[in-house]
Amino acid sequence: MSTIAETASRAQTRRRVRVDGWRWGGRIFLVFMLLYTAVPMIWMLITSIKSGFAATQFPPQWWPDEPTLASYQKLLDPQNSVGQDFLRFFWNSLFVSTATTILSVIVAVPAAYAFSRFSFPGRNFLFFTVLLRNMFPAVIFLVPLFILMRAIGLVNTHGSLILTYLTFGLPLAIWLLKGFYDNIPVQLEQAARIDGATRFQAFILIVMPLSTPGIIATAIYSFIGAWNEYIYAYTFLSKNEQLTLPVGIQRFFSENTTDFPGLMAASFMMSVPVVVLFLVLQRYFVRALTEGAVKH
Amino acid sequence: MAHVVLKDLVKAYGGFKAVNDVSLTVNDGEFVALVGPSGCGKTTTLNLVAGLIPVTSGDIVIGDRVVNDLDPKDRDIAMVFQNYALYPQKSVYKNLAFPLQMRRLPREEIDRKVKEAARVLDMTHLLERKPRELSGGQQQRVALGRALVRDPAVFLMDEPLSNLDAKLRVQMRSEIKRFHQDLKATIIYVTHDQLEAVTMADKMAVMNGGNLQQYDSPAQVFAHPVNMFVASFIGSPAMSLIPLTASTANGSTVLTGAEGWSLELSPHNARKVARATTKKVVLGARHSTIKLHKSAVPGAIPAKAYTVEPTGDVTFVQALLSGAIVNISVSPNVAVAPDEQIWLEFDQERTHLFDGETEMALKAD
Repeated sequence: MSTIAETASRAQTRRRVRVDGWRWGGRIFLVFMLLYTAVPMIWMLITSIKSGFAATQFPPQWWPDEPTLASYQKLLDPQNSVGQDFLRFFWNSLFVSTATTILSVIVAVPAAYAFSRFSFPGRNFLFFTVLLRNMFPAVIFLVPLFILMRAIGLVNTHGSLILTYLTFGLPLAIWLLKGFYDNIPVQLEQAARIDGATRFQAFILIVMPLSTPGIIATAIYSFIGAWNEYIYAYTFLSKNEQLTLPVGIQRFFSENTTDFPGLMAASFMMSVPVVVLFLVLQRYFVRALTEGAVKH
Repeated sequence: MAHVVLKDLVKAYGGFKAVNDVSLTVNDGEFVALVGPSGCGKTTTLNLVAGLIPVTSGDIVIGDRVVNDLDPKDRDIAMVFQNYALYPQKSVYKNLAFPLQMRRLPREEIDRKVKEAARVLDMTHLLERKPRELSGGQQQRVALGRALVRDPAVFLMDEPLSNLDAKLRVQMRSEIKRFHQDLKATIIYVTHDQLEAVTMADKMAVMNGGNLQQYDSPAQVFAHPVNMFVASFIGSPAMSLIPLTASTANGSTVLTGAEGWSLELSPHNARKVARATTKKVVLGARHSTIKLHKSAVPGAIPAKAYTVEPTGDVTFVQALLSGAIVNISVSPNVAVAPDEQIWLEFDQERTHLFDGETEMALKAD
């Protein structure tokens, strides 16, 4: 009995040791990555609850002696000018990003479906030219697009940004969604059409619900792209009341004294919508919605 | 229920004709199997009938309407797909209800019909499940239920059993056959498995390379294959096809094998060979029509056993003859060893003769 148990436990130990080398290596790597991404965020959060004096001290206070929410109160207070500016920038960003997201979903969904399901002359050519825009650095288009926007009278409007962000986001959105549609068996639509649906109904009732994860991924992608964009917003908009958050924060805090806690509080609040969006929608990413549709 | 007529049906992709001039009539209440190897055009033909792809030329008639330009939804058909194509986000109940909802039936009637179909297919307890929570056989049943819940004019089935395991396939085969008998349904059934076609169908349409080869009852196709393709495709193990040379001397016709042996033909078979376009004649014989002898017998041809496959009920012996493999079935108590000298006697009443050039069956008159 005892010998058997000993042999077994020894074998177990040996096996565990061999596997553990890799597993621990992986864990250490992941911890390192976590620190790399989390520490700046944590530092942002800590700084945002310091007083202006404490933020510039050296050696730094790892945890503020007198934590305060004063920066947040100031930013969210519509009574003072800082709060008014911040809230206006916030709404501007929200408007531009939401509009970009909705438009890009409206355009990308049917486009991706068409690329996936229909064969028409020039399909492959079109499909790759869609990517052409993404083959160049964004700055290259800055001046041409500015001239174009001026010519059509869109400079200093949010429309110029929405249009520009669409040209950034759409190509990848279309590619991403096409992948989703390629993976939805065509027989599902055929079954629906035989069951009495028109082609459009089959798309709306059967295919669209199945591509929800793709549509959500596309939406998040477009939203974040538009929400964080700086250079175009900086170039196309000059009136203070139109600025979006990235430009607004930068301009505001470089014009005033360098108020680090205020800057960090603003940055933190700017990242809140993105995080919330992810937390709410992430479960749709993981679900394999077409499971059980067809037998392979 | 309704009859279906295909008239000179053609489906071309560029220069390639996937379906080439197919004409056939499926009578009201008939079970017709489209059978053939992969890529023979059988599924394309079914999709044309369903309206999932447009026809290049020819006509499709369902009932008394030419349906060429009708949408699938307006053709009054139901289809069972090879991979079932169940709506994964919908429960079994909603899968079955979908075709009825699309036809805007009142809610109570939908409920009644769905429950009736579920009862017939013995899956009332599965109604609230999602397709992914079902076994392969249950999914297949739901797919069948979604087709029959609507009472369509024609049922189209695209290899509905090919994804099931062997045991379940045999069981569902008899269920579908029973379903056809009970409903007197018009069914067009695509399969690559000739056994399914032979066991289930009233008529079978054998296709190859986009062309309809033969359209008749399974018994007729089995007994009188029109050409070498049909002969070799229908029946298991396949019919042995032995290429031989015909010659006539002193009023009797003789077939000679590559090894030098010769077989004198009966007068009936001699008349068939006389109509061949060439000296090259192919002799076709099914395994059960060849007698195996362990010693020389007049009229029997010497050969060597190649492999021996006991299956329990019956033992299959393969022999090489004139460059072809010949299948013979013998009783399991006949002991044959590989490489053993054997003699084969053909039953000339039941052999088939084919023109070596055109590959068509030779007829006496």
